[in-house]
Amino acid sequence: MPSINLSATLQSIPHNAQEPIVDQFFATRLLEALGFNQGEVYPQYESGAGPVDYAARKNVEDNVFLNTKSNPYLLVELKGRDINLAEDSASYKNTVTQLRRYLLASNCKTAQWGIITNSIHIQLFRKHDRVIHPATPCLKLDSDNIDDTVALIKQKLDQPTKALIVAVYNNKGGVGKTTTTINLASILSLFGKKVLVIDFDPNQQDLTSSIGLPLSEGDVYQSLVNKNVDIRSAMQAYTFRHKQTGKEFGFDVIPADKTLVDADEKDIRQLLKSHALHQKLNSLAADYDYVLIDSPPNWRFYSQQAVYAADVVLIPAKHNNLFSLENAATAIKQFIPETQRARGDGGPIALPIFFNGEKTTPSQQEAAHQAINNIIRQAKREGFDLLRYFYPRYTNANRDYYVFEVPSYAHIANAAFSRTPAVYCNKTAFEYYLALAKEYFLQ
Amino acid sequence: MSSLSDIGNLMHLYLDEISPGEGTTAPDFLIQAAANLLNQSGGRNWIPVIVQETNKDQYQVIGNSFIYAVAEAANLERVWCIIADSSEETVKITQVLAGETVPQINLSIASRDEIMAALQYLIEQPGSVLKGVKLAVVTNRLEAAPRQYWKTLEPIASLKCGITKGKKLDALKQVFYLSPQSMPEVVKDPAILNSLTTDELKKMAKTRGFTGYAKMKKADLVELLCQ
Repeated sequence: MPSINLSATLQSIPHNAQEPIVDQFFATRLLEALGFNQGEVYPQYESGAGPVDYAARKNVEDNVFLNTKSNPYLLVELKGRDINLAEDSASYKNTVTQLRRYLLASNCKTAQWGIITNSIHIQLFRKHDRVIHPATPCLKLDSDNIDDTVALIKQKLDQPTKALIVAVYNNKGGVGKTTTTINLASILSLFGKKVLVIDFDPNQQDLTSSIGLPLSEGDVYQSLVNKNVDIRSAMQAYTFRHKQTGKEFGFDVIPADKTLVDADEKDIRQLLKSHALHQKLNSLAADYDYVLIDSPPNWRFYSQQAVYAADVVLIPAKHNNLFSLENAATAIKQFIPETQRARGDGGPIALPIFFNGEKTTPSQQEAAHQAINNIIRQAKREGFDLLRYFYPRYTNANRDYYVFEVPSYAHIANAAFSRTPAVYCNKTAFEYYLALAKEYFLQ
Repeated sequence: MSSLSDIGNLMHLYLDEISPGEGTTAPDFLIQAAANLLNQSGGRNWIPVIVQETNKDQYQVIGNSFIYAVAEAANLERVWCIIADSSEETVKITQVLAGETVPQINLSIASRDEIMAALQYLIEQPGSVLKGVKLAVVTNRLEAAPRQYWKTLEPIASLKCGITKGKKLDALKQVFYLSPQSMPEVVKDPAILNSLTTDELKKMAKTRGFTGYAKMKKADLVELLCQ
């Protein structure tokens, strides 16, 4: 295939070109360079929530995208050079919101990628079911790096990874991380998803014991420190048979490792880099739809590994526990950006928090709102916008203080006694975790 | 549009040329207190009444009827109005935008988020009959149900999600309407089959050429038609 030289194209774009000019000079060439030819690109595609500038998909035999306009693979939202797309600018945030809306719209269920660009900046986003997360940082284009940048994007489009890696994290204990992990895994597996769960809290080991699996005797440790040991050797399968239908459900588990309990953190750090788990999981990403990592309530070795390995971080909190809210804010303001800088590929990002907890009364809700408002105000002074992580539906005109909630019931906690995830044995738990899975993940 | 048409214009009309239409149900206090304030502030209603022209110099209120009621209580001779066209859709959208009626969504094709938002609205209404209904549960059931074929909302009552026939089901009629697809001749999905009545299932068995179904129970019919 002849490689397309985009650096000349880039130089030819007028300095302050508005959207129609960027469109004319740049858009088609970019899509061509990404491997989409005539008949595979449709302009002003009706997403179901308004027209997106371009939609593209490779033609399969006689299914020509231009004619069928079905099942787009990639969406591109174009802006003029007069719109600033540098990260943290207001117009960048608006453009990302716009792209997210298109990606989630009814005609774009099959779309897996979204690009925003104004020919000065470009950023690729990946969509996995309902989750949209950055697949590259927001990159600045110049005539020297554009061909490499586009090649990097093309490589991601051509070889999509299957799995979404989710770290369940809050450095406050007792907010329901393990319960969330195990029940989410169960629900996703009921919906035909292939799921791997990692118990990465070796001191607590709750996840492993809550479903009655034996602890690992050093296999996980070996596979982490030793390049040549496959992490599959530490894996165990958890299966559950439905009493009436006889159907089997389940997921794979990497249990907590006994040897990691006794190991001194200093010693482990000498052997393991911060990306050790991330690297090991890359080899598994093709086998699973979801990888869920349960992490310990602190910001030390294991949670750092878990967050580093993740595409997205799911943060449970409690409406009646101020520290769980403050710690969620700390993770979003400090730990996650720190990890992003170390990784350099735009990930991981935090999903909006949700409340895991006892039934709320209106006055408790009011108190929680007050606390959250204070946290948001405080963060704003430090230059962070936390609004979308706490109130995802809030807009300037619509003060919607919606936060997703999973009410905790005694039977969800009691399920641990039967060594079975609550959603497999309790209808109410099933309904609430189904709602959680639908809110964040399933489309 | 002709330059002689008043549609879209802001006009200062005589109150006695405007018929109030459906009127407002706002409490008397709000009307009287607003009327006092309106008189004290110069008697100009900056938010206009929306009217349509029914005859020459004859108008009818289609939106903001509260403001009409206030103008009447303030004894204004004239009131500021915007003249709208007289189509059915205009009346509908105007009343929705004025917050006077609740917009409905099409349950046959609505997304999960839309269904959830509609239900949440109903549950949070003061004095709602749906208090105690679990939002997550109803949303899950409604989303998964074969609602594209429903001709009425009645099947919701048999989803076992806390919505029973009567007041609760009626409450849902405020926000949902249906535009059903016709049922295809061959349906094998047990979830859809279970939502039909025994009579309908027997009809389906007949058109598909089965025999011996006459005395079957519903569960057996579903099993037969699943094949």
